[in-house]
Amino acid sequence: MTATDPSPLTKGYQPVTWNFKLLAHDMLSGFGGMGEGMSVQIAPDGRRIIWLAHESAPKNFTAVDVSDPRKPKVVCQTDLPHANMRSNSLETCGNIMAVAYQTSKKDLQPAGFELFDISKPENPKSIGFFDCSGPHSRGVHQLWFCDGEYVHCASGSRDFVPTNALDDQFYRCVDVRNPSKPVEVGRWWMPGTRQGDNVMPPPRHPIDKGFRAHNTNVYPQRPDRCYLAYIDGGMFVLDISDKASPKKVSQWTNSPPYTGFMHTVVPLFDRGLMLVTDESTENNAKDWPKLIWVLDAREETNLVPIATCPLPDHTIYAAAGRFGAHNIHENVPLPTAWHSDQIVLGTFFNGGLRAYDISNAYQPKEVGVFMPPAPPGAPTGTIQMNDVFVDERGIVYTMDRHIGGLYILEMDF
Amino acid sequence: MLDLFPSREASPFGRRWKRERGARIPVTVVTGFLGAGKTTLVRRFLGTPEGAGTAVIVNEFGAVGIDDALVRDSAEATVLLGNGCVCCITRTDLQVALRRLVFDRERGTLPPFGRVIIETSGLADPAPILQTFSTDRALGGEFHVDVVLAVVDAVNGETALDSAAEARKQAILADRLVISKSDLAGSTTVERLTRRLQQLNPRAAIDIAVGGALDPRRIVEPATGERSAFVAEAEHGDGVVSFVVAQEAPLEWPTFSRAMETLIALRGSDLLRVKGLVNVAGCRGPVVVQYVQHLAHPPVELQTWPDADRTSRVVFITRNMAERPVRDLFAAVQALVKSPD
Repeated sequence: MTATDPSPLTKGYQPVTWNFKLLAHDMLSGFGGMGEGMSVQIAPDGRRIIWLAHESAPKNFTAVDVSDPRKPKVVCQTDLPHANMRSNSLETCGNIMAVAYQTSKKDLQPAGFELFDISKPENPKSIGFFDCSGPHSRGVHQLWFCDGEYVHCASGSRDFVPTNALDDQFYRCVDVRNPSKPVEVGRWWMPGTRQGDNVMPPPRHPIDKGFRAHNTNVYPQRPDRCYLAYIDGGMFVLDISDKASPKKVSQWTNSPPYTGFMHTVVPLFDRGLMLVTDESTENNAKDWPKLIWVLDAREETNLVPIATCPLPDHTIYAAAGRFGAHNIHENVPLPTAWHSDQIVLGTFFNGGLRAYDISNAYQPKEVGVFMPPAPPGAPTGTIQMNDVFVDERGIVYTMDRHIGGLYILEMDF
Repeated sequence: MLDLFPSREASPFGRRWKRERGARIPVTVVTGFLGAGKTTLVRRFLGTPEGAGTAVIVNEFGAVGIDDALVRDSAEATVLLGNGCVCCITRTDLQVALRRLVFDRERGTLPPFGRVIIETSGLADPAPILQTFSTDRALGGEFHVDVVLAVVDAVNGETALDSAAEARKQAILADRLVISKSDLAGSTTVERLTRRLQQLNPRAAIDIAVGGALDPRRIVEPATGERSAFVAEAEHGDGVVSFVVAQEAPLEWPTFSRAMETLIALRGSDLLRVKGLVNVAGCRGPVVVQYVQHLAHPPVELQTWPDADRTSRVVFITRNMAERPVRDLFAAVQALVKSPD
């Protein structure tokens, strides 16, 4: 073999697809800045619809017919009432969808979550709204809705005055069995974050992102537990056997010395493991490393970190945009979701989508990467992969945060 | 080892994979006698879309062939080719070269290649290369040999097969045979060579390359399907025979593994290559097994069988070891393992 021209791809950041097959890419009618809500519905007419949350205004949510994953088709795309809000998160359960509304400033409306009848995907009908607005509230950032009965969410409230403005969202459980009249049944916040608490507010981190709730996962294997990520407060296991009075079971945090923003907690019940993710929120890898952590959770009151999912050299990724962990596939307890305690799929912004084999929990191994070329008009010049969902067929859906829309993939391993 | 975190999703052999290589980097070994046209074939492949992102290792093994003239200027170096490919020339140690490729890729100093082609010396025996991937745990975890391809020159191939044991062994151990330079030889010569190759290696499909061009898929596609074809015991020359041990009923893993351990202990050096699918009792998918002389590759359970046939079928390529004693050994071990108490 002789040397020929040096490849421009020899050094630094470059797209790569490894052990994934791209089936389709849909820019979502030019509104491809996507948030962190992805949920699959089998519509009454048999079509498979994926509902997607947008990262920011002007769009509320988009529904895509993915019955044939190679030929996705947008069937519905709705607008927000104004530009000072976003609907970053959503979940479907049967033919009901819950959509989170978070405003850009406090005391704006609508702030809370809205329930839709989506039995006709082209024409979702509002059937209920839960108001969370207030002088100190921006509404709901994230929600979890899998049993058709309760919405668990990271939310502010009219009656909640935080000790620090960044600590405005906490865990709330809302009964939606009568969708037209949602009723709060319980709440929990990190002690010290509400004015009037009898403990001191937590010391702030150097990169201060707030001590507030993020993901609020509840699984049928342990309906008495909420796995709550609390951004700069780390994560908590809550006992919600009495929904009216959640109690802390345990807490784990990596910060300091790490830089906070814990995002998601996914228990792997059979294995006694727990996956915990950070979110990278700073450009140019300033908050590196943001990781997926593997915890030994056999004793839920003594969580022990045993591994992290390895990432490549961050200096290559520091050139543009964010790099680091964010969302993972959460084994959502619905028949339309894939469930695995062996493979973890996560999005890493300009690090794309990455899959890890954790069959040896002490040594997670990367088994797949999907880092597509920057979509046209990408402000960072790279992909910024934001969220991932895998349906029960093993089809992988992943979305770009800024402009690239939806990518549909097949795992090739 | 006690697994602190057992998963109901896992099989006794770990995660069930979609294919034999799992998530490992696929490797194609291109072998063939001196002047057979290996370099031309690899070069043409690198120019195809399928060839993008390939790392090529030219392995000289201390033997100096005419290909050396092509690589002399960049020996012992990793060089970057077009098409996102890299080429690493090593005369020392294949393992070192492979490890360096992975290391440099992780550091971002090499493109994220997705395939490796090892182009061997014309005088190389492919068996040690196959062994490399089972002796080195780190390499076996990163790489998997998908296909061993032997290039045979239509003009001089028969002479090489007649005169050189290395050429015969390359053909015998290959998963796929490629006849090169067919445009320079008469059709009668090509037909005669084809018959000779079929006789030497009835398991392998034979492709014809014209001007070094071959459907790139034939260079990268795993040859599992072809290898699983049933063949009667065949004599390849040099005392080499091949046969298939097949059994319809599921096998207990201890039976199979103990029979193989016994064979390895007694005649390991004569087990040139053993590969196949085993229907292991209690497993959902077939278990892929592979042995090269004394070494066993870690067994891999696949998610699904390739077809409706659930028969265990393992191809043996052996030297001076007939089918009958191997079958008898399996039967004896099976009987002993089955004995209650």
